[in-house]
Amino acid sequence: MIVADIQKRLGTFELDVQFDADHETVVLFGRSGSGKSRTLAAVAGLMRPDSGRIAIAGRTVYDGASRIDVAPQQRNLGLLFQQIAVFPHMTADENIAYPLTGWSAEARDRRVRELKELLRIEDLGARYPAQLSGGQQQRVALARALARPVDGLLLDEPFSALDEGLRGDLRAELLRLRSDLDVPVICVTHDLREAHLLADRIAVIEAGRTLQFAPRGEVFQHPASRQVAELTGVRNIFAARGLGGSRVELDGVAFEVATPVAAGATLDVAIRSERCLLRRIEPGEALPPNCFVAEITSELAFGSTYTLRLDPVGPGPTVEAEVSSHPYDVLGIATRKRWVVELPANDLHVMQAS
Amino acid sequence: MTDMAASRAGGRGSQRVWSLGALFASPALLFAAFVVVPLLALALRGWQDGQVADRLTSSFVLHALQLSFVTSTLSLAIALVFGIPAAYLLARARFPGYRLLTIIVELPMVLPPTVAGVALLVAFGRRSFIGSTLDEAGISLAFSTTAVVLAQLFVSAPFLVRSLQAGFEAIDPTFEDVSRTLGISELRTFFRVTLPLARPALLSGAVLCWTRALSELGATLIFAGNFEGRTQTMPLAIITAFESNAGLSGAIALSLVLLVVALVLLVAARFVTRGHRGAL
Repeated sequence: MIVADIQKRLGTFELDVQFDADHETVVLFGRSGSGKSRTLAAVAGLMRPDSGRIAIAGRTVYDGASRIDVAPQQRNLGLLFQQIAVFPHMTADENIAYPLTGWSAEARDRRVRELKELLRIEDLGARYPAQLSGGQQQRVALARALARPVDGLLLDEPFSALDEGLRGDLRAELLRLRSDLDVPVICVTHDLREAHLLADRIAVIEAGRTLQFAPRGEVFQHPASRQVAELTGVRNIFAARGLGGSRVELDGVAFEVATPVAAGATLDVAIRSERCLLRRIEPGEALPPNCFVAEITSELAFGSTYTLRLDPVGPGPTVEAEVSSHPYDVLGIATRKRWVVELPANDLHVMQAS
Repeated sequence: MTDMAASRAGGRGSQRVWSLGALFASPALLFAAFVVVPLLALALRGWQDGQVADRLTSSFVLHALQLSFVTSTLSLAIALVFGIPAAYLLARARFPGYRLLTIIVELPMVLPPTVAGVALLVAFGRRSFIGSTLDEAGISLAFSTTAVVLAQLFVSAPFLVRSLQAGFEAIDPTFEDVSRTLGISELRTFFRVTLPLARPALLSGAVLCWTRALSELGATLIFAGNFEGRTQTMPLAIITAFESNAGLSGAIALSLVLLVVALVLLVAARFVTRGHRGAL
């Protein structure tokens, strides 16, 4: 278990983050410069906070009030850096054995062998980092970080220096290792897909603050604010007004939502682009609830998906919809531009306006 | 990938250099000749003399040789003990006045050695405050072998510190952070990671420092004097031989020794540094 409550002033930048991690993967998600890497550095002991408290496995390693500050070498954590930092003057074996001081030669060799097997780098032990690919180097670094029994694993954008293919391999590797590790894993990333793939819980960090700290599904389906929605990739966020009951009005159209709202309340309503539906209705048929008419004004093909921009014909919001290539072909979207757009009540997420 | 990059750069380089090559060849060759001709002349005269071996076994020369090697090695040892921490601090710590300190450390490199000798004499000579205090304690610095070492240290240590500082600055501090998060103390990290990574800079700095100490003349002459067996190092012996009956031939014999030593060291240093790079 890792518990962190960190305050730090860096010039005009103020860091004030709280989160905890049990035996799970917690992702600190945010843009570059949001303070997430500094948060990790504070947990590792490489940056001293101004105040707050950090505890690892029940032991307080930092406490501003009682002036406890345990050195990084005594925090018993494994840390994987963004820059691939295997020691260039040591072979892969020497790198992995590096933290195993005070072990007998026999125990050390056995441990190094185990780790190489675990990370599938058995044949690379005698090589120097310059003779290894980026992905192999990062595997060596991961083996080294896990060599000692640790109370937590910290990953600082661990895959961002790798090519897309290798990144995928290593993510899969990490997921596989995850089940054996049985320690808290804290992973810093700005990659939305990586966050979604790895996280049990996500702390969304922006400008030094934790905007939302919740289970992955919660963050993605029920962002706490417009800012969180934007950061987690929601492309459709509208200013709306409460109509009472469970109805809101946006851009002149009344929509049914899943939660009760106060009449006259200023709200933000969000819907992910893959949740916006395109429908066809018979001529003369009345518009069903939560629908409006719109026209496709631009489309972007991403191979397996299409992203469509739909401008309203009459009242209604401008929305971005994402359609998989199969329905795109079946519906004949390429040839037909005017559609009825449905924003389903269950997918319209209502937030207090910020 | 680096190989490819290198070959591409090389390919581009050889295309561009070709036209410039013709233009720059003459001054470059002239300069090379300017360096090589005197050294060859020295070797040739030594060969013609035929008595180099005899001259080198006279007690006067042997004393100078021994003294030179002992004092410059001592200077290097002291420079290492104090210079490694100093260079590391200058590379990593940011304290008020660090820029000024960097300049002060480098000052002896550009200072005429005779000025260094006068300064040392004024500071540590018998009539100075420090010198007279030490004198009362029974320690006399000026005109002793210790003075030779101090003079050499003063002018040569900056070469080590300068080179090492640059070497330390080139090391990504992340390596040190990694080591600490792996449970290794800061001091151990320094010896297992930082210093080994700075090895090329350490080696070249040490070679520069040692050879500079070996060739030290001006400061030694003023601060330590010219006493055979006590303060007369090789460069001083060359001057003495030059001004004595033995004349130029004695000076040539001694110069040849220093030339050979310098050459061997330079080649050895290159070889060792390259060996390290190969391992990387």
